[in-house]
Parts: sequence; structure tokens; C-alpha cells
Amino acid sequence: MNLFRSEEHARNWADFDPAQAQTLQPVAQWAARFSAPLFRERTRPDYISWLLAERARQRA
Amino acid sequence: MADLDLLDRAFAAIMARMVRSGRAPHYTELAAALGLPVEQGRQTLRDLIDTGIPAWLHPGTDYIVSFPPFHNLPTQYRITVAGEQKWFAQCGFEALAVRWLFPGQTVRVDAPWLDCGEPLAIELRDEETLTVSPVEMVGYAYSQVGGPAENRPWR
Repeated sequence: MNLFRSEEHARNWADFDPAQAQTLQPVAQWAARFSAPLFRERTRPDYISWLLAERARQRA
Repeated sequence: MADLDLLDRAFAAIMARMVRSGRAPHYTELAAALGLPVEQGRQTLRDLIDTGIPAWLHPGTDYIVSFPPFHNLPTQYRITVAGEQKWFAQCGFEALAVRWLFPGQTVRVDAPWLDCGEPLAIELRDEETLTVSPVEMVGYAYSQVGGPAENRPWR
């Protein structure tokens, strides 16, 4: 899970795997994904209770 | 398994310590913070990791290696807040989530590109992305996000 100058630079990385090329996305999209409640709520005092309840809700 | 209230308090104590100092506590310190005997503090730490949060201990030990979005072992993702660089992010993506731990403050991420070592930087504050350098920056994961724990530090 790394950041690169551009798609071309990512493709030049020694560990680049074309099979995972769909994960190549602009950093703004990753920033949006990492704005989900899972990440935002880490300051709440009941985070683990909240997280487990969220998981259960999503499975239901 | 520790009760949920205790796990909540353990998570909050570790996160607060990492926000404050950039370092995770040892389980003896966690036990003291929670008012527990040392061995119960260690078991609480193990129980917390076993909840499936994307954190992990060094294999065969009770040392916290990663507690996202932070990493207790230096990575290439250096985090600076209010002019102080004392945090490391678990990965490039979790670096983008550090801002939620520092509301109202500018969080700067500095890292080298892995293909050539040149620097990249991004600054975020709450909902805003303030700067991205270079602007063409992309994110890439060569294995599934949230995949096997034994691989996480080296992706």
C-alpha cells in the first residue's frame, strides 16, 4: 500500500504486479476511501464496541 | 477474552499514547494505564489484537509493531504535525487517515518514491487535501488491502 509519483512510476517499481493494477488509483480516491467511519472513529472511547457492532450490522 | 469495556479502554489508551508520543506502550505500561496487574495487561493486549483490528505484534513477542494508522517501527511514511516529525504511518494509505487523529491540524506525509527514492509529500487537514506533490501521485497495493498479517509490513 504505497504512494507513487504517477502510474508510470508505480509500474516501474520492482514489486509491481500487473494482476493488481486495478488498485492503481489517484491519491484523492485513496484519501476518500480512508475517510470512511472505520478510520474517522478511531478517537471514540468505545471504538472496539462500535467496530464490532458495525461488522455485525454489515454481515446482517 | 476481555470484556468489551476493557478492550475499548485498551484501544483508547494505546491510540492516545501513539498520538501523544509517536510510540506504542509496552504491555506493562498498558496494564498500569488500565489499573490492571501486568499479566492481565498482556492478555488484554493480545485480546485486543485478536479482535481483528489491522494491528499486529512482532511474531513471538508482545511488542506492538503496528497500530493503524500508526506504525511503531519506522516506515518510509514520516508524519509531521505542528512542525514535529515523530510518527510513522503503517502504509501509504493509512498515512492518509492520520489526519482523523489530529482534528484541526495540518498533517504532512513525507515519503520517498519506491521506484527511485525521490521525495513525495502530501498535506491534509480534516476534510481538505491542502497540497499534493507531485500532483500526479497515485496509490497502489500489490496485495489485497487487509490481506495476510505476516505480509503487511513489507507491501
